Amino acid sequence: MHSSFTRLQNVFGFFTTVAFVLGAFIAATDLGSARTPSGVIKTDNIQVVKGRPHYYSSKKEEYAIIRFSLEADLSSLFTWNTKQLFVYVTADWTSPGGTNNSAVIWDSIITNPSADHLQNLGPVAMKKLKKSAEGKSIAPERGLLKLKNQKPKYQITHPSGKIAETADVTLKLHYNVQPWVGVLTWNMDKPLGVWNAMRGGVSDLFTLPALKSKDGKGKDTKDKSSTKSKKSKKP
Amino acid sequence: MAAEKISLYNLADLKNTADDAIPNYLNSLKFKQTHFLSDVRLGLGYTAFVICAACFAWDYKLGFEDTKIYTAIAVALYTLLNGALTFWMMFVEKGVVYQGTSPSGEKITVVSTTKKLDPTYRLSITVTDKSAKSHIIEVAKPFASFFDESGYFVAVPFQEILATAVPVIGKLDPRRIKSESQDMLNANPELLDAILAANNGASTGVDASEGGKRRKA
Amino acid sequence: MFSGLQNPRNIAAQIMNFGLVLSTAFMMWKGLSIVADSPSPIVVVLSGSMEPAFQRGDLLLLWNRELFTETSVGDIVVYNVKDKEIPIVHRVVRKFGHGDKARLLTKGDNNVADDTELYARGQDYLERSDIVGSVVAYVPFVGYVTILLSEYPWLKTAMLGIMGLMVVLQRE
Repeated sequence: MHSSFTRLQNVFGFFTTVAFVLGAFIAATDLGSARTPSGVIKTDNIQVVKGRPHYYSSKKEEYAIIRFSLEADLSSLFTWNTKQLFVYVTADWTSPGGTNNSAVIWDSIITNPSADHLQNLGPVAMKKLKKSAEGKSIAPERGLLKLKNQKPKYQITHPSGKIAETADVTLKLHYNVQPWVGVLTWNMDKPLGVWNAMRGGVSDLFTLPALKSKDGKGKDTKDKSSTKSKKSKKP
Repeated sequence: MAAEKISLYNLADLKNTADDAIPNYLNSLKFKQTHFLSDVRLGLGYTAFVICAACFAWDYKLGFEDTKIYTAIAVALYTLLNGALTFWMMFVEKGVVYQGTSPSGEKITVVSTTKKLDPTYRLSITVTDKSAKSHIIEVAKPFASFFDESGYFVAVPFQEILATAVPVIGKLDPRRIKSESQDMLNANPELLDAILAANNGASTGVDASEGGKRRKA
Repeated sequence: MFSGLQNPRNIAAQIMNFGLVLSTAFMMWKGLSIVADSPSPIVVVLSGSMEPAFQRGDLLLLWNRELFTETSVGDIVVYNVKDKEIPIVHRVVRKFGHGDKARLLTKGDNNVADDTELYARGQDYLERSDIVGSVVAYVPFVGYVTILLSEYPWLKTAMLGIMGLMVVLQRE
């Protein structure tokens, strides 16, 4: 401590140590707050249509459009260290060869109010979002989801281009907790400490329907929603 | 040496400068310095460094995937060597700044320490005579006694401390031995006045005896 | 400052101390690489495509071993594309098959489209070997220094200069 420079150095060193330890403590508090996620997911209307992966593609693939209903309680996942919750629904099935397939059909970013300002939203939507939790920094109620006959965000296919009449498909609800600092967590198969495994969250097995016979529809799918889907086929 | 100006507020600098002065002084008195401890330390350190450099080279040239196993081995070796180095410095070297043998055959080991926020130079000097009997001499002196106010090291008082405290050194450099009374007079100008007064014969016996008492104290 | 220079051992020790600081930092990094089995176990987020989860400058800790589960849908992975310099941090949204042959498709949470456009020409899916690691932990903002350093090169020079000066000026 013999010069301003070493003083500055020491102060900075001490500051980083304190910040690091504080961060570790905050991250550790996650382990102490109970998690009791649960959900019920059901399929509604399912269609398989023909479409092209993108406008200029000459190839036609089959796309499954799975509508679903979801009722979930993920409110326990919101704590002071939760930055956002990423909720997503996957369709899972096994191909004849015994290989597993999994594809996201719907997802949603749910921010804690402390992270609202980071969302990529228009000014109106942002205002509304901020208003919805005015004065609060934690908003567990945002973890209560109720979707009826929800249209999927992503139409899914398989690299082979064939997906119609696939049997034993399930929908599964997943979440990913993004902390402000610390370890990222996903839904677990087994409970860990005060964190419970997801109750429910899996649909009954279902079979994708046959291709819609008259495919005047196929053309429409090319620019549907965000599906910049695959042109598939690897050599 | 000694031409170096250092910051008087930097304890590490004070200690390092004083540490450096010890071998200079003792070697000038024909002590034979042994570098075994520092050579082992340097050996361990540089071996570790070479391993790290090699690891850096192959990682840079060949990439991570192809050299994983070698990197793992290098990391393990490096950890071991660094552990050995730490062990050596903490439990073997223990702050030894000088090890050597006097011309007459006594072995001498000098350990220096400082305490945080205490500008005192503490030496622990182990002298082992030819019959392998050793004794330890502890010296603690404020740095102020051998640094001037602008931050220059002053060799003479420093050497006097060593020569006075350690007979083996004193024998080789008798000029630097300070008698205790001399020391006392320097430290206590009042006393000097008293003695001067006594010597002038103008004072009473009481004063003189008081001076004598102080000398003993 | 240069009082040690009279004795070659002192110079050697001083150089060694400096060298060991650098080499220990490097070896800790390599040790972490080995443990996580990833060439770069810590990455700094460079783009906003995973916002609001990750901002530019956030630090991510990666893990590249499939000890308990395979890399699966929902994981956030860092991958390299052939002939492209900068690794990308995105989420796996589709996975067909398993093991080394699995085909993976990624997408940034904040992007509308999936990553097909970002892949190499003719590449439709990632393979496991393209992936550098999955994100397991997150520290906000700390990596911003590196972004500053790469955007303002003079900062790098200045920092190296200061560091060099400190080493020369200080012992221990």
